[in-house]
Amino acid sequence: MNTDDLIVKLASDVPPVKRSAVSRRLGLGIAAGAAVSAGYALLMWGARPDLDVAMHSFSFWMKWAYTISLAFGALALTVQLARPETHRLRWLWLLAIPVLLLASVGVFELLRTPQTQWLAMWLGHSWKTCPWRVLTLAMPIFIGLLWSFRRLAPTRLRLAGAAAGLAAGAFAATVYCLHCPEASAIFVLTWYSLGILLAASFGALVGPRLLRW
Amino acid sequence: MRASEEQLRELMIAGLDGNADDHAALLRLLVPMLRGFYRRRASGDGDDIEDLVQDTLIAVHTRRSTYDRDRPFSAWLFAIARYKMIDHFRRNRRIQPIEGLEEILIAEGFEDASSARMDVDDLLDTLPPKQARMIRATRIEGLSVAEAAEIHGLGESDVKVSVHRGLKTLIARIQGGRA
Repeated sequence: MNTDDLIVKLASDVPPVKRSAVSRRLGLGIAAGAAVSAGYALLMWGARPDLDVAMHSFSFWMKWAYTISLAFGALALTVQLARPETHRLRWLWLLAIPVLLLASVGVFELLRTPQTQWLAMWLGHSWKTCPWRVLTLAMPIFIGLLWSFRRLAPTRLRLAGAAAGLAAGAFAATVYCLHCPEASAIFVLTWYSLGILLAASFGALVGPRLLRW
Repeated sequence: MRASEEQLRELMIAGLDGNADDHAALLRLLVPMLRGFYRRRASGDGDDIEDLVQDTLIAVHTRRSTYDRDRPFSAWLFAIARYKMIDHFRRNRRIQPIEGLEEILIAEGFEDASSARMDVDDLLDTLPPKQARMIRATRIEGLSVAEAAEIHGLGESDVKVSVHRGLKTLIARIQGGRA
């Protein structure tokens, strides 16, 4: 096609674009993916039986505060990497805050617990399945983000993939809190974070291939 | 003289607000800029260059929501143009970079140079805005002096002087920092 015709064709479809279009589109992809993840988690594993009681407990909100703040930190990075001319990532260091806070809660818990129970506290009942379940729940969210990226313009594909994976993992962990009854900070710090990191690594691995445009 | 950064940015923003005529005008103005950009950097016959130009126009159109109205338009445009060029080099053997691809990847600081970029950004922030902009345009975005002059609506000698003064200040600052 000749270039002038192409321009005429392109200019026939010029809908207004909101300033917040990039974050909206990413938010939409995440929301759609998270809805699928939540449906899957509730159908396959069910909500934790004591969910209504747990919602009033410290440990439940500690877990959510951790996963939700990581999720929004990762989302802030993803928004930046969705633009082509991003040279410099801002707010990367913010991700360290929830990790450090949870680690301090963990240390505090360990100090209050007899040493003989440390291992049980660390491994909980579900350390073998937890990271994999977080990774599983991250997949629909990651796919939602891939859909978002189809109209975005990342140029550092591996980093963008990693950021999208990190966000998908952290939102997946947030969903998983609805099912998982584990309560100790070091459990969450280890096994939730491992699941989230697996999702981020997966994103970094497939980013260059799947985010290409 | 071709369009200035300010004109392009205004047309882009009007397009984002839904004005189709301004959007078409923008795309038309980009054609000669992109042809020049790719001819200078890639060998390949006219059709290959035109393919790249069209691909870039389509990307500018379909991904226009990623333009941040508060940031320079030319940096956004050339980031897309450069991405499309590298993507074409990888995909397609017929069109090849004039310099080696490796060199471009290194020069563009593809993925791993982010830390170096941070240092550069910090240093450039200490310069007067015009000098920083011109160094960025000519040394980081890789535009020629003529291209930078056109886009930013300055004379070529003005660009050269800004770059020269800016670099001189930076060198003095780095050496001073070391001493």
